Amino acid sequence: MRKQFRETIMDLSNNDERIVLLFGDVSVYLFDEFKKKYPNRFYNIGICENTLISVGAGLSSQGFYPFIHTITPFITERSFEQVKLDLCYNQFGANIVSCGASFDYAWDGATHHCYTDLAILRLLPDIEIIQPGSTKELDILLRSQYNNGRTTYFRLSDYPHKIDMPVEFGKGAILKNTNSKLTVVTAGPILANVLEACKDLDINLVYFHTIKPIDKELICRFKDSEIVVIHDAFGLYEAICEVPHLNISYYGIPDEFCSCYGNVHDVRKKIGLDSVSIREKLKNKIKKYSKA
Amino acid sequence: MNPDCKRIRQDILKISNVSGHGHVPSCFSVIEILYALYHTINHDPKKPSWSRRDIFVLSKGHASLGLYCVLAHFGYFDIKNVYSFGSFTSDFGCHMDRIKIPGIEASTGSLGHGIAIAVGMALGLKIKKEDSRRVYTLIGDGEANEGSVWEAIMVATNLGLNNLTIIYDNNLSHSRGLQIQNPAQRLGAFGCEAVEVDGHDISQLKKEILVVSSKPRAIIAHTKKGFGSRSLISNHYEWHRKSPTSEELKKLLRELDEETV
Repeated sequence: MRKQFRETIMDLSNNDERIVLLFGDVSVYLFDEFKKKYPNRFYNIGICENTLISVGAGLSSQGFYPFIHTITPFITERSFEQVKLDLCYNQFGANIVSCGASFDYAWDGATHHCYTDLAILRLLPDIEIIQPGSTKELDILLRSQYNNGRTTYFRLSDYPHKIDMPVEFGKGAILKNTNSKLTVVTAGPILANVLEACKDLDINLVYFHTIKPIDKELICRFKDSEIVVIHDAFGLYEAICEVPHLNISYYGIPDEFCSCYGNVHDVRKKIGLDSVSIREKLKNKIKKYSKA
Repeated sequence: MNPDCKRIRQDILKISNVSGHGHVPSCFSVIEILYALYHTINHDPKKPSWSRRDIFVLSKGHASLGLYCVLAHFGYFDIKNVYSFGSFTSDFGCHMDRIKIPGIEASTGSLGHGIAIAVGMALGLKIKKEDSRRVYTLIGDGEANEGSVWEAIMVATNLGLNNLTIIYDNNLSHSRGLQIQNPAQRLGAFGCEAVEVDGHDISQLKKEILVVSSKPRAIIAHTKKGFGSRSLISNHYEWHRKSPTSEELKKLLRELDEETV
Protein backbone atom coordinates (compact mmCIF):
# COMPACT_ATOMS: atom_id res chain seq x y z
CA MET A 1 0.00 0.00 0.00
CA ARG A 2 2.96 2.31 0.52
CA LYS A 3 3.73 1.98 -3.19
CA GLN A 4 0.21 3.18 -3.94
CA PHE A 5 0.80 6.06 -1.52
CA ARG A 6 3.85 6.99 -3.58
CA GLU A 7 2.02 6.62 -6.91
CA THR A 8 -0.88 8.79 -5.81
CA ILE A 9 1.41 11.45 -4.34
CA MET A 10 3.55 11.53 -7.48
CA ASP A 11 0.47 11.98 -9.60
CA LEU A 12 -1.09 14.67 -7.40
CA SER A 13 2.19 16.55 -7.19
CA ASN A 14 2.24 17.06 -10.94
CA ASN A 15 -0.48 19.63 -10.46
CA ASP A 16 -0.13 20.70 -6.85
CA GLU A 17 2.92 22.56 -5.63
CA ARG A 18 1.53 22.79 -2.14
CA ILE A 19 2.21 19.13 -1.29
CA VAL A 20 5.12 18.82 1.14
CA LEU A 21 6.35 15.49 2.56
CA LEU A 22 7.62 15.28 6.14
CA PHE A 23 9.01 11.83 6.90
CA GLY A 24 10.22 10.31 10.14
CA ASP A 25 12.99 8.26 8.59
CA VAL A 26 10.76 5.65 6.96
CA SER A 27 9.88 5.16 3.27
CA VAL A 28 12.65 7.59 2.34
CA TYR A 29 14.15 5.35 -0.35
CA LEU A 30 10.67 4.61 -1.70
CA PHE A 31 10.14 8.32 -2.37
CA ASP A 32 13.50 8.84 -4.04
CA GLU A 33 11.87 9.97 -7.27
CA PHE A 34 9.77 12.57 -5.46
CA LYS A 35 12.83 13.82 -3.63
CA LYS A 36 14.77 14.21 -6.89
CA LYS A 37 11.88 15.91 -8.66
CA TYR A 38 10.85 18.20 -5.80
CA PRO A 39 13.89 18.59 -3.53
CA ASN A 40 12.46 21.57 -1.66
CA ARG A 41 9.27 19.72 -0.81
CA PHE A 42 10.69 16.54 0.69
CA TYR A 43 12.08 16.51 4.23
CA ASN A 44 13.26 13.48 6.15
CA ILE A 45 12.88 15.49 9.34
CA GLY A 46 14.28 12.89 11.70
CA ILE A 47 13.15 10.47 14.37
CA CYS A 48 11.22 13.10 16.31
CA GLU A 49 7.53 12.44 15.84
CA ASN A 50 6.29 15.28 18.05
CA THR A 51 8.18 17.78 15.96
CA LEU A 52 7.05 16.13 12.73
CA ILE A 53 3.45 16.95 13.62
CA SER A 54 4.21 20.48 14.81
CA VAL A 55 6.28 21.31 11.74
CA GLY A 56 3.37 20.04 9.65
CA ALA A 57 1.13 22.47 11.52
CA GLY A 58 3.52 25.33 10.76
CA LEU A 59 3.64 24.41 7.07
CA SER A 60 -0.14 24.20 6.98
CA SER A 61 -0.31 27.74 8.37
CA GLN A 62 1.69 28.84 5.34
CA GLY A 63 -0.73 27.30 2.86
CA PHE A 64 0.86 23.90 2.26
CA TYR A 65 -0.69 20.42 2.34
CA PRO A 66 1.73 18.45 4.50
CA PHE A 67 1.95 14.66 4.48
CA ILE A 68 3.43 13.52 7.78
CA HIS A 69 4.55 9.92 7.51
CA THR A 70 6.12 7.44 9.86
CA ILE A 71 5.39 4.32 11.94
CA THR A 72 1.93 4.11 13.52
CA PRO A 73 2.49 3.98 17.30
CA PHE A 74 5.04 6.78 17.25
CA ILE A 75 3.07 9.25 15.14
CA THR A 76 -0.23 8.60 16.93
CA GLU A 77 0.26 7.48 20.53
CA ARG A 78 3.49 9.40 21.12
CA SER A 79 2.38 12.55 19.28
CA PHE A 80 -1.24 12.59 20.40
CA GLU A 81 -1.05 16.02 22.05
CA GLN A 82 0.63 17.56 19.00
CA VAL A 83 -2.16 16.18 16.79
CA LYS A 84 -4.78 17.43 19.23
CA LEU A 85 -3.42 20.95 19.69
CA ASP A 86 -1.13 21.88 16.82
CA LEU A 87 -3.28 20.40 14.06
CA CYS A 88 -6.86 20.05 15.30
CA TYR A 89 -7.26 22.88 17.83
CA ASN A 90 -5.23 25.33 15.76
CA GLN A 91 -7.10 24.29 12.61
CA PHE A 92 -3.81 23.77 10.82
CA GLY A 93 -4.98 20.84 8.72
CA ALA A 94 -2.49 18.18 7.63
CA ASN A 95 -2.40 14.59 6.43
CA ILE A 96 -0.99 11.98 8.76
CA VAL A 97 -0.08 8.76 6.95
CA SER A 98 1.01 5.88 9.13
CA CYS A 99 2.50 2.50 8.31
CA GLY A 100 2.90 -0.65 10.40
CA ALA A 101 -0.47 -0.48 12.14
CA SER A 102 -1.98 -3.28 14.24
CA PHE A 103 0.41 -6.21 13.80
CA ASP A 104 1.98 -5.38 10.43
CA TYR A 105 5.34 -5.30 12.22
CA ALA A 106 4.51 -8.31 14.37
CA TRP A 107 8.13 -9.42 14.51
CA ASP A 108 9.12 -6.21 16.27
CA GLY A 109 6.99 -7.04 19.28
CA ALA A 110 4.62 -5.05 21.45
CA THR A 111 6.62 -1.82 21.20
CA HIS A 112 5.73 -1.68 17.51
CA HIS A 113 2.19 -3.09 17.65
CA CYS A 114 -0.46 -0.38 17.45
CA TYR A 115 -4.19 -0.96 17.74
CA THR A 116 -5.26 2.18 19.61
CA ASP A 117 -4.55 4.78 16.90
CA LEU A 118 -8.02 4.84 15.37
CA ALA A 119 -9.69 4.85 18.78
CA ILE A 120 -7.72 7.72 20.28
CA LEU A 121 -7.58 9.93 17.20
CA ARG A 122 -11.31 9.67 16.54
CA LEU A 123 -11.90 11.30 19.92
CA LEU A 124 -10.43 14.56 18.63
CA PRO A 125 -12.65 17.24 17.10
CA ASP A 126 -11.97 18.31 13.51
CA ILE A 127 -10.27 15.15 12.31
CA GLU A 128 -11.08 12.57 9.65
CA ILE A 129 -10.07 8.96 10.25
CA ILE A 130 -9.52 6.64 7.32
CA GLN A 131 -8.41 3.01 7.33
CA PRO A 132 -8.05 2.06 3.68
CA GLY A 133 -8.29 -1.70 3.24
CA SER A 134 -7.12 -1.80 -0.36
CA THR A 135 -4.85 0.20 -2.62
CA LYS A 136 -7.90 1.39 -4.54
CA GLU A 137 -9.45 2.74 -1.36
CA LEU A 138 -6.24 4.57 -0.49
CA ASP A 139 -5.95 6.11 -3.93
CA ILE A 140 -9.54 7.36 -4.06
CA LEU A 141 -9.73 8.58 -0.47
CA LEU A 142 -6.34 10.29 -0.48
CA ARG A 143 -7.25 12.19 -3.64
CA SER A 144 -10.61 13.26 -2.25
CA GLN A 145 -9.45 14.40 1.19
CA TYR A 146 -5.84 15.59 1.17
CA ASN A 147 -6.48 19.26 0.40
CA ASN A 148 -9.70 19.99 2.27
CA GLY A 149 -7.95 21.99 5.00
CA ARG A 150 -8.78 19.46 7.70
CA THR A 151 -6.58 16.97 9.48
CA THR A 152 -6.96 13.53 7.97
CA TYR A 153 -5.44 10.33 9.29
CA PHE A 154 -4.67 7.58 6.78
CA ARG A 155 -3.70 4.23 8.28
CA LEU A 156 -1.77 2.27 5.65
CA SER A 157 -1.30 -1.49 5.71
CA ASP A 158 1.29 -3.80 4.22
CA TYR A 159 -1.40 -6.48 3.83
CA PRO A 160 -4.26 -4.90 1.86
CA HIS A 161 -7.28 -6.89 0.78
CA LYS A 162 -8.09 -7.18 -2.90
CA ILE A 163 -11.86 -6.95 -2.70
CA ASP A 164 -13.26 -4.45 -5.15
CA MET A 165 -16.17 -2.20 -4.28
CA PRO A 166 -17.33 1.37 -4.91
CA VAL A 167 -15.42 3.80 -2.68
CA GLU A 168 -16.63 7.14 -1.40
CA PHE A 169 -15.43 9.06 1.67
CA GLY A 170 -17.76 8.69 4.62
CA LYS A 171 -19.74 5.86 3.03
CA GLY A 172 -19.70 2.24 4.20
CA ALA A 173 -20.49 -0.68 1.92
CA ILE A 174 -22.82 -3.67 2.21
CA LEU A 175 -20.91 -6.70 1.00
CA LYS A 176 -23.54 -9.26 2.00
CA ASN A 177 -27.18 -8.77 2.90
CA THR A 178 -29.17 -11.93 3.54
CA ASN A 179 -31.63 -10.20 5.86
CA SER A 180 -29.97 -12.21 8.59
CA LYS A 181 -30.54 -11.49 12.26
CA LEU A 182 -26.75 -11.30 12.60
CA THR A 183 -24.66 -8.52 11.03
CA VAL A 184 -20.89 -8.50 10.98
CA VAL A 185 -19.21 -5.10 10.74
CA THR A 186 -15.54 -4.72 9.90
CA ALA A 187 -12.97 -2.29 8.49
CA GLY A 188 -9.65 -2.30 6.70
CA PRO A 189 -7.51 -5.21 5.54
CA ILE A 190 -8.96 -7.74 7.99
CA LEU A 191 -11.95 -7.79 5.64
CA ALA A 192 -10.20 -10.55 3.68
CA ASN A 193 -10.35 -12.88 6.69
CA VAL A 194 -13.86 -11.84 7.66
CA LEU A 195 -15.26 -12.32 4.17
CA GLU A 196 -13.61 -15.73 3.87
CA ALA A 197 -15.03 -16.71 7.26
CA CYS A 198 -18.62 -15.84 6.52
CA LYS A 199 -18.93 -16.17 2.76
CA ASP A 200 -21.44 -19.05 2.88
CA LEU A 201 -23.02 -18.24 6.24
CA ASP A 202 -26.37 -16.57 6.68
CA ILE A 203 -24.83 -13.33 7.91
CA ASN A 204 -24.95 -9.72 6.74
CA LEU A 205 -21.54 -8.14 6.17
CA VAL A 206 -20.96 -4.38 6.32
CA TYR A 207 -17.60 -2.73 5.68
CA PHE A 208 -16.12 0.68 6.49
CA HIS A 209 -12.95 2.43 5.34
CA THR A 210 -13.98 5.74 6.92
CA ILE A 211 -14.06 5.48 10.69
CA LYS A 212 -14.79 9.18 11.24
CA PRO A 213 -17.25 10.37 10.22
CA ILE A 214 -18.93 6.98 10.50
CA ASP A 215 -21.77 6.19 8.11
CA LYS A 216 -24.59 6.15 10.68
CA GLU A 217 -27.27 5.89 8.03
CA LEU A 218 -25.87 2.58 6.88
CA ILE A 219 -25.60 1.23 10.44
CA CYS A 220 -29.21 2.18 11.10
CA ARG A 221 -30.31 -0.12 8.31
CA PHE A 222 -29.07 -3.05 10.41
CA LYS A 223 -30.08 -1.78 13.85
CA ASP A 224 -32.67 -4.50 14.33
CA SER A 225 -30.10 -7.25 13.92
CA GLU A 226 -27.42 -8.33 16.38
CA ILE A 227 -24.19 -6.62 15.38
CA VAL A 228 -20.75 -8.11 15.86
CA VAL A 229 -17.82 -5.80 15.17
CA ILE A 230 -14.80 -7.82 14.06
CA HIS A 231 -11.70 -5.66 13.86
CA ASP A 232 -7.96 -5.93 14.48
CA ALA A 233 -7.94 -2.57 16.27
CA PHE A 234 -10.02 -0.44 18.59
CA GLY A 235 -12.02 2.47 17.26
CA LEU A 236 -14.47 0.98 14.80
CA TYR A 237 -16.62 -0.54 17.55
CA GLU A 238 -16.68 2.77 19.41
CA ALA A 239 -17.61 4.59 16.20
CA ILE A 240 -20.48 2.18 15.47
CA CYS A 241 -21.73 2.74 19.02
CA GLU A 242 -22.44 6.37 18.09
CA VAL A 243 -25.74 4.91 16.93
CA PRO A 244 -27.72 4.36 20.15
CA HIS A 245 -29.56 1.28 21.33
CA LEU A 246 -27.72 -1.29 19.24
CA ASN A 247 -27.41 -4.93 20.23
CA ILE A 248 -23.68 -4.93 19.64
CA SER A 249 -20.49 -6.71 20.73
CA TYR A 250 -16.80 -6.55 19.83
CA TYR A 251 -14.54 -9.37 18.74
CA GLY A 252 -10.90 -8.50 18.21
CA ILE A 253 -8.06 -7.20 20.34
CA PRO A 254 -7.77 -8.85 23.77
CA ASP A 255 -7.12 -6.86 26.96
CA GLU A 256 -3.50 -7.88 27.12
CA PHE A 257 -0.25 -7.17 25.28
CA CYS A 258 0.43 -9.54 22.41
CA SER A 259 3.87 -10.40 23.67
CA CYS A 260 4.86 -12.48 20.71
CA TYR A 261 6.66 -12.07 17.41
CA GLY A 262 6.32 -13.80 14.01
CA ASN A 263 4.22 -12.20 11.29
CA VAL A 264 0.78 -10.62 11.12
CA HIS A 265 -0.84 -13.97 10.33
CA ASP A 266 0.74 -15.57 13.41
CA VAL A 267 -0.63 -12.85 15.67
CA ARG A 268 -4.06 -12.86 14.06
CA LYS A 269 -4.22 -16.63 14.65
CA LYS A 270 -3.11 -16.22 18.27
CA ILE A 271 -5.88 -13.72 19.02
CA GLY A 272 -8.53 -15.47 16.96
CA LEU A 273 -8.64 -13.18 13.96
CA ASP A 274 -7.65 -15.75 11.35
CA SER A 275 -10.52 -16.77 9.07
CA VAL A 276 -10.93 -20.20 10.72
CA SER A 277 -11.30 -18.74 14.21
CA ILE A 278 -13.63 -15.99 13.01
CA ARG A 279 -15.76 -18.59 11.25
CA GLU A 280 -16.03 -20.68 14.43
CA LYS A 281 -17.03 -17.60 16.39
CA LEU A 282 -19.73 -16.68 13.86
CA LYS A 283 -21.07 -20.21 13.52
CA ASN A 284 -21.64 -20.25 17.26
CA LYS A 285 -23.30 -16.87 17.06
CA ILE A 286 -25.79 -17.85 14.36
CA LYS A 287 -26.74 -21.12 16.04
CA LYS A 288 -29.31 -19.42 18.24
CA TYR A 289 -30.95 -17.83 15.23
CA SER A 290 -31.02 -21.15 13.32
CA LYS A 291 -32.76 -22.85 16.28
CA ALA A 292 -35.29 -20.04 16.46
CA MET B 1 11.67 51.63 33.04
CA ASN B 2 10.32 52.66 29.67
CA PRO B 3 7.04 54.57 30.30
CA ASP B 4 5.09 52.45 27.78
CA CYS B 5 6.30 49.25 29.45
CA LYS B 6 5.25 50.65 32.79
CA ARG B 7 1.75 51.40 31.46
CA ILE B 8 1.55 47.90 29.98
CA ARG B 9 2.46 46.44 33.38
CA GLN B 10 -0.18 48.64 35.02
CA ASP B 11 -2.74 47.23 32.58
CA ILE B 12 -1.66 43.68 33.41
CA LEU B 13 -2.05 44.27 37.13
CA LYS B 14 -5.44 45.93 36.81
CA ILE B 15 -6.80 43.24 34.49
CA SER B 16 -5.46 40.50 36.73
CA ASN B 17 -7.14 42.17 39.70
CA VAL B 18 -10.47 42.48 37.92
CA SER B 19 -10.45 39.04 36.32
CA GLY B 20 -8.82 36.96 39.03
CA HIS B 21 -6.52 35.44 36.41
CA GLY B 22 -3.06 35.92 34.98
CA HIS B 23 0.48 34.72 35.38
CA VAL B 24 1.66 38.18 36.37
CA PRO B 25 5.37 37.56 37.13
CA SER B 26 5.73 35.52 33.90
CA CYS B 27 4.19 38.39 31.98
CA PHE B 28 6.37 41.01 33.67
CA SER B 29 9.56 39.24 32.63
CA VAL B 30 8.75 39.47 28.90
CA ILE B 31 7.26 42.96 28.46
CA GLU B 32 10.44 44.63 27.18
CA ILE B 33 11.01 41.66 24.85
CA LEU B 34 7.51 41.91 23.36
CA TYR B 35 7.68 45.70 23.22
CA ALA B 36 11.03 45.66 21.41
CA LEU B 37 9.79 42.94 19.08
CA TYR B 38 6.66 44.77 17.93
CA HIS B 39 8.68 47.97 17.54
CA THR B 40 11.09 46.16 15.24
CA ILE B 41 9.39 43.48 13.16
CA ASN B 42 7.25 44.06 10.09
CA HIS B 43 3.59 44.01 11.08
CA ASP B 44 0.42 46.01 10.62
CA PRO B 45 -2.10 46.08 13.48
CA LYS B 46 -4.78 47.14 11.03
CA LYS B 47 -4.02 44.17 8.78
CA PRO B 48 -3.04 41.30 11.09
CA SER B 49 -2.96 38.89 8.13
CA TRP B 50 -0.79 41.16 5.98
CA SER B 51 1.03 38.81 3.61
CA ARG B 52 4.46 40.39 4.16
CA ARG B 53 4.36 40.45 7.93
CA ASP B 54 6.91 38.79 10.16
CA ILE B 55 5.47 36.09 12.38
CA PHE B 56 5.63 35.88 16.16
CA VAL B 57 4.62 32.80 18.17
CA LEU B 58 4.40 33.08 21.95
CA SER B 59 5.41 29.55 22.88
CA LYS B 60 5.18 30.24 26.62
CA GLY B 61 1.46 30.73 26.19
CA HIS B 62 0.75 31.44 29.84
CA ALA B 63 2.16 34.95 29.31
CA SER B 64 -0.92 35.65 27.19
CA LEU B 65 -2.06 38.60 29.29
CA GLY B 66 1.29 40.27 28.65
CA LEU B 67 0.96 39.75 24.91
CA TYR B 68 -2.66 40.97 24.86
CA CYS B 69 -1.64 44.17 26.62
CA VAL B 70 1.29 44.71 24.25
CA LEU B 71 -0.89 44.05 21.19
CA ALA B 72 -3.48 46.48 22.56
CA HIS B 73 -0.73 49.07 23.04
CA PHE B 74 0.24 48.66 19.38
CA GLY B 75 -3.39 49.04 18.24
CA TYR B 76 -4.55 45.51 17.47
CA PHE B 77 -7.61 45.98 19.69
CA ASP B 78 -8.88 48.14 22.54
CA ILE B 79 -7.40 47.36 25.95
CA LYS B 80 -10.93 47.64 27.38
CA ASN B 81 -11.80 44.35 25.70
CA VAL B 82 -9.02 42.57 27.57
CA TYR B 83 -10.67 43.29 30.91
CA SER B 84 -12.96 40.31 30.23
CA PHE B 85 -9.80 38.15 30.42
CA GLY B 86 -10.57 34.53 31.24
CA SER B 87 -14.33 34.99 31.56
CA PHE B 88 -16.82 32.63 29.94
CA THR B 89 -17.88 34.98 27.17
CA SER B 90 -14.45 36.52 26.56
CA ASP B 91 -12.31 35.98 23.47
CA PHE B 92 -9.28 36.71 25.65
CA GLY B 93 -8.54 33.40 27.32
CA CYS B 94 -5.79 32.67 29.79
CA HIS B 95 -4.17 30.92 26.85
CA MET B 96 -4.61 32.44 23.42
CA ASP B 97 -6.91 31.29 20.64
CA ARG B 98 -5.58 32.31 17.25
CA ILE B 99 -9.03 32.01 15.71
CA LYS B 100 -10.41 34.65 18.07
CA ILE B 101 -7.67 37.23 18.58
CA PRO B 102 -6.13 39.33 15.79
CA GLY B 103 -2.35 39.14 15.78
CA ILE B 104 -2.14 35.72 17.40
CA GLU B 105 -0.42 33.34 14.99
CA ALA B 106 -0.77 30.10 16.98
CA SER B 107 -2.88 28.90 19.89
CA THR B 108 -0.44 27.81 22.57
CA GLY B 109 -0.59 26.80 26.19
CA SER B 110 0.84 23.33 26.50
CA LEU B 111 4.56 24.04 26.71
CA GLY B 112 6.96 22.94 24.00
CA HIS B 113 4.52 23.26 21.09
CA GLY B 114 4.78 26.82 19.83
CA ILE B 115 8.48 26.69 19.02
CA ALA B 116 8.00 23.59 16.87
CA ILE B 117 5.08 25.17 15.01
CA ALA B 118 7.33 28.20 14.46
CA VAL B 119 9.94 25.91 12.91
CA GLY B 120 7.32 24.69 10.43
CA MET B 121 6.33 28.28 9.67
CA ALA B 122 9.96 29.22 8.99
CA LEU B 123 10.33 26.18 6.72
CA GLY B 124 7.17 27.24 4.90
CA LEU B 125 8.56 30.73 4.27
CA LYS B 126 11.78 29.16 2.97
CA ILE B 127 9.90 26.91 0.53
CA LYS B 128 7.86 29.89 -0.69
CA LYS B 129 11.11 31.87 -1.03
CA GLU B 130 9.63 34.70 1.03
CA ASP B 131 13.08 35.71 2.16
CA SER B 132 12.12 39.12 3.50
CA ARG B 133 9.93 37.58 6.18
CA ARG B 134 11.09 36.16 9.49
CA VAL B 135 9.66 34.00 12.28
CA TYR B 136 10.18 34.78 15.97
CA THR B 137 9.23 32.64 18.90
CA LEU B 138 9.52 33.28 22.63
CA ILE B 139 10.12 30.33 24.91
CA GLY B 140 10.53 30.20 28.68
CA ASP B 141 13.38 28.62 30.57
CA GLY B 142 10.91 26.38 32.39
CA GLU B 143 9.41 25.45 29.04
CA ALA B 144 12.86 24.35 27.91
CA ASN B 145 12.47 21.38 30.26
CA GLU B 146 10.30 19.90 27.52
CA GLY B 147 12.16 17.59 25.14
CA SER B 148 10.08 18.82 22.22
CA VAL B 149 11.82 22.21 22.53
CA TRP B 150 15.16 20.61 21.82
CA GLU B 151 13.76 18.41 19.05
CA ALA B 152 12.47 21.55 17.38
CA ILE B 153 15.80 23.35 17.75
CA MET B 154 17.69 20.38 16.28
CA VAL B 155 15.35 20.30 13.31
CA ALA B 156 15.62 24.07 12.79
CA THR B 157 19.40 23.99 12.75
CA ASN B 158 19.53 20.86 10.60
CA LEU B 159 17.27 22.54 8.03
CA GLY B 160 19.37 25.72 8.17
CA LEU B 161 16.40 27.90 9.08
CA ASN B 162 18.25 31.18 9.40
CA ASN B 163 14.92 32.99 9.14
CA LEU B 164 14.07 31.88 12.67
CA THR B 165 14.87 33.70 15.90
CA ILE B 166 14.27 31.96 19.22
CA ILE B 167 14.05 34.31 22.18
CA TYR B 168 14.74 32.51 25.44
CA ASP B 169 13.23 34.19 28.48
CA ASN B 170 15.79 33.22 31.09
CA ASN B 171 13.87 34.42 34.14
CA LEU B 172 15.20 31.57 36.28
CA SER B 173 11.67 30.47 36.93
CA HIS B 174 12.62 26.92 37.55
CA SER B 175 15.41 27.30 40.04
CA ARG B 176 13.51 24.99 42.40
CA GLY B 177 13.29 22.30 39.73
CA LEU B 178 15.13 21.57 36.50
CA GLN B 179 16.85 24.90 35.92
CA ILE B 180 18.97 24.99 32.78
CA GLN B 181 22.13 26.72 33.92
CA ASN B 182 23.86 27.39 30.63
CA PRO B 183 21.25 28.08 27.94
CA ALA B 184 23.60 29.97 25.64
CA GLN B 185 26.08 27.10 25.52
CA ARG B 186 23.32 24.57 25.03
CA LEU B 187 21.60 26.49 22.25
CA GLY B 188 24.98 27.08 20.64
CA ALA B 189 25.81 23.40 20.90
CA PHE B 190 22.51 22.58 19.20
CA GLY B 191 23.58 24.71 16.24
CA CYS B 192 22.08 28.13 16.90
CA GLU B 193 23.96 31.40 16.82
CA ALA B 194 23.39 32.27 20.46
CA VAL B 195 23.76 35.69 22.01
CA GLU B 196 22.96 36.95 25.49
CA VAL B 197 21.28 40.24 26.33
CA ASP B 198 19.71 42.05 29.24
CA GLY B 199 16.08 41.13 28.61
CA HIS B 200 14.86 44.41 30.04
CA ASP B 201 17.12 46.56 27.83
CA ILE B 202 14.96 47.56 24.88
CA SER B 203 17.80 48.93 22.75
CA GLN B 204 19.87 45.75 23.15
CA LEU B 205 16.85 43.65 22.29
CA LYS B 206 15.96 45.71 19.21
CA LYS B 207 19.51 45.44 17.92
CA GLU B 208 19.61 41.66 18.29
CA ILE B 209 16.11 41.15 16.88
CA LEU B 210 17.30 42.68 13.60
CA VAL B 211 20.42 40.53 13.22
CA VAL B 212 20.39 37.88 10.52
CA SER B 213 23.01 35.16 10.33
CA SER B 214 23.60 31.90 8.52
CA LYS B 215 22.00 29.89 11.35
CA PRO B 216 18.85 30.07 13.43
CA ARG B 217 19.39 32.75 16.05
CA ALA B 218 18.90 32.34 19.76
CA ILE B 219 18.64 35.44 21.92
CA ILE B 220 19.04 34.50 25.55
CA ALA B 221 17.25 37.28 27.35
CA HIS B 222 18.27 37.43 30.99
CA THR B 223 15.21 38.68 32.80
CA LYS B 224 13.70 38.94 36.24
CA LYS B 225 10.42 37.19 36.87
CA GLY B 226 8.16 39.96 38.12
CA PHE B 227 10.41 42.76 36.82
CA GLY B 228 9.04 46.12 37.98
CA SER B 229 7.77 44.98 41.35
CA ARG B 230 9.86 44.23 44.40
CA SER B 231 7.14 41.98 45.83
CA LEU B 232 6.74 39.93 42.66
CA ILE B 233 10.47 39.45 42.20
CA SER B 234 11.10 38.42 45.77
CA ASN B 235 8.17 36.00 45.92
CA HIS B 236 7.50 34.93 42.35
CA TYR B 237 6.58 31.34 43.21
CA GLU B 238 3.68 32.49 45.38
CA TRP B 239 2.61 34.99 42.72
CA HIS B 240 3.01 32.65 39.73
CA ARG B 241 -0.70 31.95 39.40
CA LYS B 242 -2.08 34.55 41.82
CA SER B 243 -4.03 37.70 41.11
CA PRO B 244 -3.73 40.77 43.30
CA THR B 245 -6.53 41.80 45.60
CA SER B 246 -7.48 45.47 45.45
CA GLU B 247 -5.19 46.20 48.40
CA GLU B 248 -2.34 44.28 46.82
CA LEU B 249 -3.00 46.05 43.52
CA LYS B 250 -2.41 49.43 45.15
CA LYS B 251 0.85 48.19 46.60
CA LEU B 252 2.06 46.65 43.32
CA LEU B 253 1.15 49.79 41.36
CA ARG B 254 3.03 51.85 43.91
CA GLU B 255 6.06 49.61 43.53
CA LEU B 256 5.87 50.06 39.76
CA ASP B 257 5.87 53.83 40.24
CA GLU B 258 8.83 53.60 42.55
CA GLU B 259 10.64 51.36 40.07
CA THR B 260 12.40 49.69 42.93
CA VAL B 261 13.49 46.71 40.92
